[in-house]
Formats: sequence, structure tokens, C-alpha cells
Amino acid sequence: MVKNSLQFTVFFLIAAFTVAFVNKENRIAPYQVDTPGQLPKTVEEALLSVGDKKPIHYIAKFDADSARMGEEIVKFGNLLDGSNKRVSKYFVCTDCHNLQLESANPADESPEAVLEYSKKNEIPFLPASTFYSMYNKRHWYNDDYYKKYGDLVKPTRDTLANAIQLCATQCAQGRAMEPWEIRTVLHYYKSLELKISDLKFGQNELDKLGNLIVNNKAEAIKLIKSKYSETNHAHFGTNAPPNVPGYVPSADNGKYIFNFGCLHCHDPETGITNFTLTDSELSLSFLYRKRNAYNNYAVTHITRYGTYAMSGRKQYMPMYSFEKLSEKQMLDLLEYIKVGSGH
Amino acid sequence: MKRIFGLILIIVTGSYTSQAQDDLVKESFSNTRVMSNHSVELLPKRSLEFIVAHKFGDAAGATGGLQNFYGFDNLADVRIAFEYGILDKLDIGVGRNKGVGLITGVMDGYAKYQILQQKTVGMPVNLVFVSSLILPYKAATADSSSITSYPSFVNRFTFTNQILVSHNFKKRITVQANIGYNHRNYVDYQDVNGLFFAGIATRARFTKTLGLIVEYNHVFNRPTSIAGNYQDPLSIGFEILTGGHSFILGFSNSKALNENLFIPYTTSNWLDGQWRFGFSINRRFKL
Repeated sequence: MVKNSLQFTVFFLIAAFTVAFVNKENRIAPYQVDTPGQLPKTVEEALLSVGDKKPIHYIAKFDADSARMGEEIVKFGNLLDGSNKRVSKYFVCTDCHNLQLESANPADESPEAVLEYSKKNEIPFLPASTFYSMYNKRHWYNDDYYKKYGDLVKPTRDTLANAIQLCATQCAQGRAMEPWEIRTVLHYYKSLELKISDLKFGQNELDKLGNLIVNNKAEAIKLIKSKYSETNHAHFGTNAPPNVPGYVPSADNGKYIFNFGCLHCHDPETGITNFTLTDSELSLSFLYRKRNAYNNYAVTHITRYGTYAMSGRKQYMPMYSFEKLSEKQMLDLLEYIKVGSGH
Repeated sequence: MKRIFGLILIIVTGSYTSQAQDDLVKESFSNTRVMSNHSVELLPKRSLEFIVAHKFGDAAGATGGLQNFYGFDNLADVRIAFEYGILDKLDIGVGRNKGVGLITGVMDGYAKYQILQQKTVGMPVNLVFVSSLILPYKAATADSSSITSYPSFVNRFTFTNQILVSHNFKKRITVQANIGYNHRNYVDYQDVNGLFFAGIATRARFTKTLGLIVEYNHVFNRPTSIAGNYQDPLSIGFEILTGGHSFILGFSNSKALNENLFIPYTTSNWLDGQWRFGFSINRRFKL
């Protein structure tokens, strides 16, 4: 009996460890490299063809293998073959960034447009900008990010590689990324760059663009760039409850924001934060009771201020800027919390 | 016994409200333990939980009362442990216990695997298997009649294997049933090595951060000649969650903090005032 019991328990422990160490994430499928054609497919190709200036992070030759490695770093924090260390033990990029278009029209990235498109496509409603089209931006950590990170944002304002590094070391509270790692992420961004087909041109505009490409390249560049944003603005709010005269809050929108925004990190299954929430009366009642407090439990407070990294608790919550969560959407969220808590 | 199995059957086959989404039911318990015994809850992958747990002396009875400040002047057991989520469905843990009675200086370890997870539709229960062991590391006594004389190294081990089944009712109430087998490799001549036991535990949440928890276990096959010396461990307490830490505060007749000790060795009787205050502080880290 002694031997049997000992063997069984030891067998279970060995099996548990074996399962743990042979378990591997699914590898990412190889990229399909497009065959170069006569007509530009990407926005960058179109812009360069009419003489636009190359960005600092310009990639002359896209490398599919580098992009795959970059995707692994973005999604898992390190390469799945274990050859590098995780960038951050707290976050991976996809905790805060989406990887697809967030609005039907890249020229309109307003929170209302993003919410409408997100609801239609069940896309997470996150506080940071999507990586899709990040390659096409020219300025990062804009506006009020200076209030949060101070002079650290200066080198990032025009250089994507520096922005990636700041995100790794400050936002994710991780280690500094190696230059080769940043290059792989840039290649992955390149795979997520804006395509011509993503831009919304009317027939008249297309005709006009055709003429401008021949006769006025500067105007052609201007027209193409009017179809998407090169800058993600960021303005931070306060914990003051929003006041939007005449607006009737939508609990339906609020439910989406709660489930695809708040719970993206606070869902217990994600393991991202110790402060877990569920779409239940229990959690919603808690948030409703705390709604007017001046602390991190109050929705307006935590959403607009976020939290800060501190010694012993480096992991922190980013805030939603007005460009990512409008005052109307804040009212929607508060309305859902009120309704969901039975009030 | 029949009642306990009947309850498990009701939990497994009971009727459930049909809901639109096939979602996982989360947070059946706040921690990997209900109070002292395991819960169906597992740590997220790559999360480390640090646990400090205490149980004090008898609050009342012959050794309690004001003279020992209701037990706070005496320490029954203390456990310091680290638990880690290797996978989302697999935890391991190691701990060190002061130990109780003759068995002191105890290292413990366990592995816990989640077989099934409750869903709002389709899967009514959580089903978890947990296997644990203890190793008292202190020197063996010279008294060959003692259970701590350990003629060989393997005599030091005690094992407990349990199946835990739970169902969460509308987020607020969780009921867990457990059946298990405890095997002590070296026991008193009147005792038996293998003990079969079953138990029930429940958690009722008043708010998101405050809940009531109760835990009870019964041993079935203790020899009648010594059965009168032992009691069934029963614990009642509260949990307080802060987001970063979770606290469990409660009262129990069992002195030990590990299932390999409180299942076979609980002798204190609630009715004799031999109940004690205990607490555990849990802090979770990302690794």
C-alpha cells in the first residue's frame, strides 16, 4: 500500500511537470509575401510612388520571418522557441493594443466610430492605439502623454522605434528591447500597414487622385493622407463625472465597453490583474457603490487617471484618453453599471 | 456517506437555467484554498501566490480564555507557502508548516489539475484533482513506539489525493464537495494507514469583496477503538478581498493547516471550547 500510494503521487507529480514543460503555444503560420505588382497595394507604396518622404522606420525589404518573430513578441512577449526572455512579465502588447482596424474608415478614429465598428466586429475596446496602421503613423505619444511620461516622450514623438522602446520599458514595465527585437516588431507592423483598399475614396476623389498623381504630386500626397490619421492624439481627463447636456446614455454601449474594455484585463481568466471583475451584479454593484469615491475603485477616477507603477507593484493600469473613451461613452459605461447593479 | 454522494449527484445532474452564452463560470472561490483545504480554484498561468497562514491556540476551554488571551498567546500551526500556476489548468505548490502534535517541521507539496470547468451552458460543475504530500524533516525519535520514530525514510511521507466538485450558483454561492484518500505511511499500531474522507465547503458572497466560507470534512474508516479520540474538522470564516491581497479570517477546531495533517489528526472539539482563530494572507504576483 505504501509503495502504491507513493508511486501514484509521484507519477502524478511527474506527469504534471511533463505536461507543463511539453506544452507549447501554437506557432504562428508563415506570412504570405505578396508578389510585387504594377499598381501600389499599400498606402506607403502609393505615397512613395508620388514622391513622399520615406519615414524614419522605412523598411526597404519586408522580411516575413522577421515579421513572424515580431508577431510572437507582440502576442506572447518573447519568441516561442524560448531563445529570448519575455519583454515584460506583466503585460503583452495585445493587452492594450488591437491588431486590426478599429473603425470602418481610417480617417475617422473617433471613439464613437471605434465603438460602432468594434460592436459590429466584436473587437476589444482598448485604451491604446491599434497596431494596424501603426506603421503609417508619423507621431507617437502625443499631447498629454508628456504629462505622464515627461521628457521620455520626446524621442518617441517622431521615431517609431523609440516609441516601441518606451512602451516596453514604461507602459509594460518590462526590460529594454534589443535592437533586433525592435526590428522584428517593425517588420510585423509593416505587415499590418494600411492598404489602399482600407482607405475610403469616393468615385470623384479617385478621379481627382488620378489627375493629381500626374499633375500635382504634392496635392496627391495630401489627398491620400487625408484618408487616414498620421497622429493619434491623446488628451487626458479628470475624475469629474461627465456632463453632456441632452445626451441619453446607452446601457447597451456601456455593456460593450465593460465587457470588451474593462474585462479585457479584469476578467479573472486573463490573469492580467489581481483586481478581477465579472459581468455580474456582484461586480457591478461594487462599482456602483464606489462610483463617487476619490480612489481607484471609482470608475471615472480609474478610467481617466489609471494607476502608476510603484516599487513592489510595477504593473499598472493605463488610462483612457478622451480620444479612446468619450465623455458620452463614459456616461454609457456608468449607465450600464447602474442598470446592471439593479438600480 | 449516502447524503454526500447524493449531494454530488444533485450538483452534477441538477437542472440549470439556460443562458445565451456558453461562458466559463469564474471565481468559484477567491483562493486556491477554501479555508485550509483545497478549493477548485487554480492560479492563472505564470502567477505566483505567496501565502502566510496562522492558527492560534484554543479560544475557550481549559487552555483558552483571558489567561491565554483567547488563544492568541499560543500558536497551533503556521504555514508559509508558494503556489504557482504552471498552466491555466495546472498548479503546483510547496510550503512549510510548523506542524501539530508529534508531527512538526513539515514540508508540503501538491499538484492540482482542473479536469472540467463550469460553464453557464453545458458544463454544470468544476472538477479538480489534487494530490499532495507532506514530509516531516525533523530527526526521528528514539522511542520505537512513536509514530515519529520513522524506521525508514519513506515512513515519513503522508499523501492525500482528492477529487473536488463544485457548482457556482448565480455568482454568489459556491458549493464544493470533495472525496479523498489519505495515506499515512507510518501510523500507531491501533490505527490504519489509509483513511477515506469526504467533505463539503461553501462560499457565500455578500459583496464583491466580502464572503462567508464554511468547510467540513468527515473521515469514514477510522478504527472504532480510537475513533472517539478524533473529531471532524469544521471551519467557519470570512474572506476579505482587496484586489492585491486576500484575507481569510476564521475559526476552526482543527489545529493544522495542511490536509495531510488536519484530516487524520484533528482531535479538538468545538463543544469543549477547543476552537481557534486563524487567518491567511494571500498575495499574488506575476512572474
